Amino acid sequence: MSVVISAKDVGVEFYTSRRRKMQVRDLLFHGRATTSTDTFWALKDISFAITKGEAVGLVGGNGSGKSTLLKTIAGVLLPDTGTVQVDGGVAPLIELTGGFRGELTCRDNLWVQAGLHGLSKAQIEERFEDIVDFAGPQVRAALDRPYRHLSSGMQVRLGFAVISSLDEPIFLVDEVLAVGDKAFREKCYTRMESLLAEGRTLFLVSHSEGDLKRFGTRGLYLRSGELVMDGPMDEVLARYNEDQGTARA
Amino acid sequence: MITRIRAVWRRREILGTLVQRDLRVRYSRSVLGYVWTVLDPLLMASVYFVVFTFIFKAGRVADSPYFLYLLSGLLAWQWFTGSVTDTTKSLIQEARLVRSTNLPREVWVIRCVVAKGVEYVLSLPILVGFVIYYLAVGRVDLDWELLLFPLGMVLQFLLLVGLGLLLAPITVLVTDMQRVVRIFLRFFFYLSPVLYGLQSVPDQLRAVLILNPLNGILSLYRGGLFERSVSWVDVGVSVAMSLLLVVLGFWTFSRLERSVLKEI
Repeated sequence: MSVVISAKDVGVEFYTSRRRKMQVRDLLFHGRATTSTDTFWALKDISFAITKGEAVGLVGGNGSGKSTLLKTIAGVLLPDTGTVQVDGGVAPLIELTGGFRGELTCRDNLWVQAGLHGLSKAQIEERFEDIVDFAGPQVRAALDRPYRHLSSGMQVRLGFAVISSLDEPIFLVDEVLAVGDKAFREKCYTRMESLLAEGRTLFLVSHSEGDLKRFGTRGLYLRSGELVMDGPMDEVLARYNEDQGTARA
Repeated sequence: MITRIRAVWRRREILGTLVQRDLRVRYSRSVLGYVWTVLDPLLMASVYFVVFTFIFKAGRVADSPYFLYLLSGLLAWQWFTGSVTDTTKSLIQEARLVRSTNLPREVWVIRCVVAKGVEYVLSLPILVGFVIYYLAVGRVDLDWELLLFPLGMVLQFLLLVGLGLLLAPITVLVTDMQRVVRIFLRFFFYLSPVLYGLQSVPDQLRAVLILNPLNGILSLYRGGLFERSVSWVDVGVSVAMSLLLVVLGFWTFSRLERSVLKEI
């Protein structure tokens, strides 16, 4: 099988010092801050390869670098060391409502959002009904009202509906399943299962063991920015729970 | 740099979508919408006209008709100042979008320049209206240099893209930059030949002011409308400065991109 995501020695360094903002000159001439000592590595020497069609779950406590890793794969964060190579487009189910503007109608927002993620006019036209159907009847009723009139749950529904209708071969999912009511969550599960069945690659971040077991066949376990384990989901979860247990004791 | 430009060009359809969205947001929020685009420069031109012709009685600081001179300058200035203000905060304001979409990040800056540019074009009919009026009363003769008008727009576009790419990432890292830019813009207004012509500036001062890239751009806009011909020295300076800023802008942007993405 072909490798679609490959990370090599990926490291991302954050500044904790308040003085980080003064270092523009350093950044310009050295490409990175040189004087600051108060940094920490959100990710360190991460290497893995994911092949097409795999369903990978990312496991780890708060602040272990899960979201950072996801953003690096999505290309919205650039690694300080190492490289991430992604073959084909990525549909990021991260910050689902980020591209929406409250003043515009839901219809306009849908068009802009889909366009931003690379759908052409004809494609949007074709999928419009499906997207709205997926978002649900309440969203359909509010289609020509300003987006900010929607409840936050509805806003996320529309966001999920748009992004999950993309053709991209890779899907990144970050905790978005936590929102939305039970019925909608079921719908999302079904959508994700059908995406997997089509042979797309899924990369999932979640704290819900149920979600991880349901979708992930392979697990990556991150602890303070380091990849401690890469293996079958059950084993990774067992290891994670063990660690959590000892941490609490 | 060439590869970055190419990457932006490939996504030009998205650029169009974003600009449309910008304009829609802008015009859906206010009742008068388009009127504001032309009302502001029109009112400012009237105020300056009254102050400088009737109160200061400053006869020959610019070409006549003075009102047309003011209006042509102020419309272009509106594009300049609006675009610099918007591009400065372009990455901060759309942080959530920048964080969630993997586009060439330059797009966020360039789209502000284009959106303000479209507004500029939309405001031009008011200039055309006054040109027709002054033609009718015989105070204006158009000449071939009117054809240079689009060249002025291209130059101004390049200048604004360069400035935007330079300022946007710095503003993310140094938040105070927004205030600095606001003050700078107020200064720069009086250092630019919007209210007066460069020819009426004393020699010593002119030696400095001649470096202002807006001289050449405004000269290209006004060449066809007024008797005075386009000053090719000024245009040369504008071309050089604009290109320099574009190169500097792309360079700075790519150097700071990594840190910017972590900050927003």
